[in-house]
Amino acid sequence: MLKHLVITLFFFGAINTETIAQNLHSTKAAKIRFFSSLAAEDIEATNSQAVSKLDTKTGAINFIVLINGFVFENELMQKHFNEEYMESPKFPKSEFKGSLTNLSAINFNKNGTYPATASGNLTIRGISQPVRATGSVVITNGKISIKSIFKIKVKDFGIAGSDIGKSIANELEITVTSLYD
Amino acid sequence: MKKKILVAALTILITAVIGIWFFVFYKPTHFKRDVADEKGISISAPDLVKAFQDNEASANSTYLDKSVEIKGEIVEAKPDQSGLTMLTLKSNDAMAGVLCTLKFADTTLKAGQTITVKGICTGFLSDVVLKEAIIVK
Repeated sequence: MLKHLVITLFFFGAINTETIAQNLHSTKAAKIRFFSSLAAEDIEATNSQAVSKLDTKTGAINFIVLINGFVFENELMQKHFNEEYMESPKFPKSEFKGSLTNLSAINFNKNGTYPATASGNLTIRGISQPVRATGSVVITNGKISIKSIFKIKVKDFGIAGSDIGKSIANELEITVTSLYD
Repeated sequence: MKKKILVAALTILITAVIGIWFFVFYKPTHFKRDVADEKGISISAPDLVKAFQDNEASANSTYLDKSVEIKGEIVEAKPDQSGLTMLTLKSNDAMAGVLCTLKFADTTLKAGQTITVKGICTGFLSDVVLKEAIIVK
């Protein structure tokens, strides 16, 4: 009797982990690019090592990225970005925690491109602000990828400096592309 | 004599102008950091992961933005979205490792190989992360 119970429990356990594993998708190579465009200068930087997790059952989605991992074309800008604007030794990470708000409109089991909306909190330099983003979820033979472009205001995150508004735009365009394993 | 002084003064002035232009304006914006030119801090992958797990803040102050040369065993090698090679090196913790994105794609690398990579440490997420890494051995 006890033996049967143990075996039954074991199978339940196995089934449970199986279903959890199917909901949870992750990647360690999500790509985050930001772009500042002004008449004087265009600035862009990319980080291709963001960690992202997506739960297709609850719609929970998060991203976490290392500030020092952003690569600029111009090495001096990268130095200023880390040392003056982002204070990356003090605030080494930036994080988005949120959820897909139109989960029911996305069929993760069927190939296609689905418009998606997300909302949550974005934390930069230790300051959290609510953000909303629109984008798309693409399903290709069971593989999930998402893409979103949204804007943030530099001053919302306490980023200050004489170049803001002059060579660095007040609003930055953020592009997120994430292909889940 | 006066002419000589004038020529010397002009030469110094021109050299100074070119020097200032090069070091102040040209080099900082055009110079690209390359780990190949830097001497990396040598450490094994398990030791580096342990350093970050034990005390992330102190490990950040030692390794953040520094060139680090790491010896370790590849547990996973695969291309990222842009086609760059991503390697995960083994640590003593199955849940964490060292994630290196290589500067140049290399499809010959396979799980199980022991290699030495040098890259710039950007910090710790679920793994210690290295960017712009090159294979040393």
